[in-house]
Amino acid sequence: MNVLLDNFALFREGFLGTVELTALSGAIALVLGVVIAAFRVSPVPPLRYFGAAWVTLLRNTPLTLLFFIAVLVLPRLGMNTWSFFQLAVLALSCYTSAFICEAVRSGINTVSLGQAEAARSLGMTFTQTLRLIILPQATRTVLPPIGSLLIALAKNSAIAGGFSVFELFSVQKTLSEQGYNIFLIFLWVAIAYLIITFFISAVFRFLETRLAVAR
Amino acid sequence: MTEVSATDLVVLKDVNKHFGALHVLQDIDLTIARGEVVVVIGPSGSGKSTLCRAINRLETIDSGHITIDDKPLPAEGKELARLRADVGMVFQSFNLFAHRTVLENVTLGQIKVRKTDKKAAEEKARTLLDRVGVGNQADKYPAQLSGGQQQRVAIARALAMDPKVMLFDEPTSALDPEMINEVLEVMQQLARDGMTMIVVTHEMGFARSAANRVVFMADGRIVEQATPDQFFSNPRSDRAKDFLSKILHH
Amino acid sequence: MNLRKTAAAAFAVVALTASATACGKSGSPSGSTTPSAAGGSSAAAALPTYAVKTGVKLSGSKTWDRIEKNGKITIGVKADQPNLGFQDPATKKYSGFDIEIAKMVAADLGFGEDKITFKTIQSANRETAIAGGQVDYYVGTYTINPERQKQVSFAGPYFVAGQDLLVKKGSSIKSKDDLKGKKVCSATGSTSIQRIKNGPYGAKPVEYDAYSLCVDNLISGQVDAVTTDDAILKGFAAKYPDQIQVLGKPFSEEPYGVGLLKGDTAFQDAVTAALKSHEDNGDWKKAYDATLGKSGVTAAIPPLDSSS
Repeated sequence: MNVLLDNFALFREGFLGTVELTALSGAIALVLGVVIAAFRVSPVPPLRYFGAAWVTLLRNTPLTLLFFIAVLVLPRLGMNTWSFFQLAVLALSCYTSAFICEAVRSGINTVSLGQAEAARSLGMTFTQTLRLIILPQATRTVLPPIGSLLIALAKNSAIAGGFSVFELFSVQKTLSEQGYNIFLIFLWVAIAYLIITFFISAVFRFLETRLAVAR
Repeated sequence: MTEVSATDLVVLKDVNKHFGALHVLQDIDLTIARGEVVVVIGPSGSGKSTLCRAINRLETIDSGHITIDDKPLPAEGKELARLRADVGMVFQSFNLFAHRTVLENVTLGQIKVRKTDKKAAEEKARTLLDRVGVGNQADKYPAQLSGGQQQRVAIARALAMDPKVMLFDEPTSALDPEMINEVLEVMQQLARDGMTMIVVTHEMGFARSAANRVVFMADGRIVEQATPDQFFSNPRSDRAKDFLSKILHH
Repeated sequence: MNLRKTAAAAFAVVALTASATACGKSGSPSGSTTPSAAGGSSAAAALPTYAVKTGVKLSGSKTWDRIEKNGKITIGVKADQPNLGFQDPATKKYSGFDIEIAKMVAADLGFGEDKITFKTIQSANRETAIAGGQVDYYVGTYTINPERQKQVSFAGPYFVAGQDLLVKKGSSIKSKDDLKGKKVCSATGSTSIQRIKNGPYGAKPVEYDAYSLCVDNLISGQVDAVTTDDAILKGFAAKYPDQIQVLGKPFSEEPYGVGLLKGDTAFQDAVTAALKSHEDNGDWKKAYDATLGKSGVTAAIPPLDSSS
C-alpha cells in the first residue's frame, strides 16, 4: 500500500491548499504588520493606541479561538458571503500581523535615532522617514524573525483544516478515516510541510545574503 | 547666496524647557540676524545642544516662542516638515543614511522633499560634494569614508536643500583631531559666503575667526553675548572667565 | 492532538450564544431547547444491567494475558457523540449505545463496571491504540472495512449504521436528492463528506473538526444538513428532539465492529460470543431503546460475521 501514490491528487490538493493559505495570509500579514508597526511608532496618539490594541488583542488570543470567531461568529454578524478560505486567511493574517508588527517594531528600534533625526531635519514627513530611511535599514535585522514567523504561519494554517478549508491536515484526516497507516500518512504530510518551510527558509536566506552584499 | 540683511531670521523668546526636574533652557531670548554667524559655547550640560535642536523642533519646548523668518514653529506634521527643509542641520555623529551612497545622501532630500528631478538633483549634489572636497567619493557608502569626509558630506546634504539657516550641533566633537580642520575650513568658507549659521562648538579658534557673535551658556541660561574679540579678551561674567581659563590652558 | 480539546472548550463559549440565537429564531419556548441528558434518562427505557461472569479464562490470547495482568480492562471509546459514545464534561461519566456494548462484552469477560477504564481515542488514533496495546478493545462507531482489517481485527458487526441526513424540523430537504446547492456539514475528511463531495448531489460541503460544530451550525441555520452515520445523527437528534430530526433514509452501509488486536482470534471469538449472548437475551434491545432509540427510530440486530 502506497499512501502517497494512491492518493497523489489528494496530497497535491492539500499541499496547494496549505501553500495558498500560507502565501496569501503571509502577504497580507506582512503588509498589515508593517502598517501596524508604523502606527505603533507614529507621532499620532490614536494610531499608537490602535496599534497597541491590535497587537495585544491578536497576539494574546489563541489562534483556534480566532478561527472560531472568524468562521462561526463573523458570518452571523453579516459576513456570510465570505468563503471558509477567505475567513481562514482573515484569521491567519490578522493573527500573524500582530507578531510581524512586533518584529518590525524591534527592527525599527535597532536603527539609531540619529537616522530619523537627520531625515526629519531634511524636511521628510513621518511616512517618508519610515519608508525611505528607517524600514530599509531595519529590514536586515527583521528578516530572520519574519522568516520564522512565516514558517510558523505555514504550520498554523493546519488549523484551517478543522474549519472546512482543504489543506495538508485535511489530507491526514481523510486518509486516516479511510484506514491508511497513520504513521505513513503523517510522514508524507510532514515531508510536505518541510518542503514549504524549507522553501521559506531558503528565500529568506537568499534575501539576507543579498542585503548583506548591498551594504 | 542670500543678500545680507538686517532683518531677524531666527528669534527665540522666553523659551523654557525641562528634562524632568532639570531646567535645561531657562528664559532664553536670542535673535539671529540674516547672514549672521553665531557661535554658542559653554560647559557640557549647559543646554547649548538642546537650544540648537529646539530651533528645528527636534526638541520640543515647554513654553515660549520660536520663529524662523517670521513664521512660528508649527506642531509636528507636514507644515513643520516644510519648515525643517529650510533649516539645515549638521549633527555631532554625522547621521548619514547608512544604506545610501554618498551621492544619494545628498540627492534624497532634494528629490523627495523639494521634488527636484533626479538629474538636476545629482548635478547639484556633485557640485556641492566638489565644494566640500569629497566629489570623488560620490558612489561610496558612508561607512567607507573617514569621519571628516562623512561630516563634509553631511554639510553638503544640508546645503542641497538651500537652507535659510544652518545649525551645527558640535560638528567636530566626534572627529579625530587631524580631521577637525578639514571640516572647520568648509564651515569657514560657508560663513564667508554669507550663510546664516548657529554653531554649537568647543572650537574656540573657529569662534574667534568666523563668528560675528559669541553666546555663552551655563546652566540653561544665556550668561553673556559679545563679539569674539570682546568675549575672549575681556569676558564679563565669572562663569565665562572660569570656563575660558579651563579650556584655554589645555 | 489537543486541537480538539481547545476547540471543544472554545465551542462551549460559542454554543451558548448559538443556542440563544437559535431559540429566538425558532420562536420556541426556551425550556424546550434544554438538551435531555444523555443516559440516565427516566422517561425512556431504563438501561439494562449485565450479569458479570466469573472464572473466565482464555488461552492463547495476548490481549487476555494483558487484561489478566492488569486486573482491569481498558476500552477505547468516543466521547463526543451523544447517546452513542459520550463523556459528560462535568461528571466525566461515559454513556451511550457503544458504551453499553463495551460493558456487555466486559461483563462476559468477567469485569464489572468498576473494573473498566474507558479511554477516549480519536478516530485517527484507533489503529495505533489497538496495535500498541493502549486499549484492550475499541467500541466507537468503528466501521469494518478492508483497509482497516489490514491493521486490526474486528468482532461483530453489532450494529449497522448508514449515512443519513440530519436536518431542521420542517426543512425542505426530504432525501439525499434534495441537496443541490445546500450546505452539508460533516467531520473533516470523513468518509461521509467524501461521498457527498464525489457523489451526484451538487451539495456544498462544509467540514469541521467536530460533529457538534456541524449541529450547532445546523441549528443556527448556517448549514442546511449534517451528514454522517445515522447512529451518530440519532444521538444528536435525541439531544435536541424539538429542533432537528434524522431523515431515516440511509444511503450507505456502515457495519460497526469491536476493534481488537490483529490476529488475536481467541479474543475475537470471546467478544463475538459475548455479543451473541447479549443480543439473544434482550440486553442489546434494552440498551438501544435507552440510548439511540430515544430519537424515535428503531433498529434491527445485524447478523454477526465470525470471519471479520
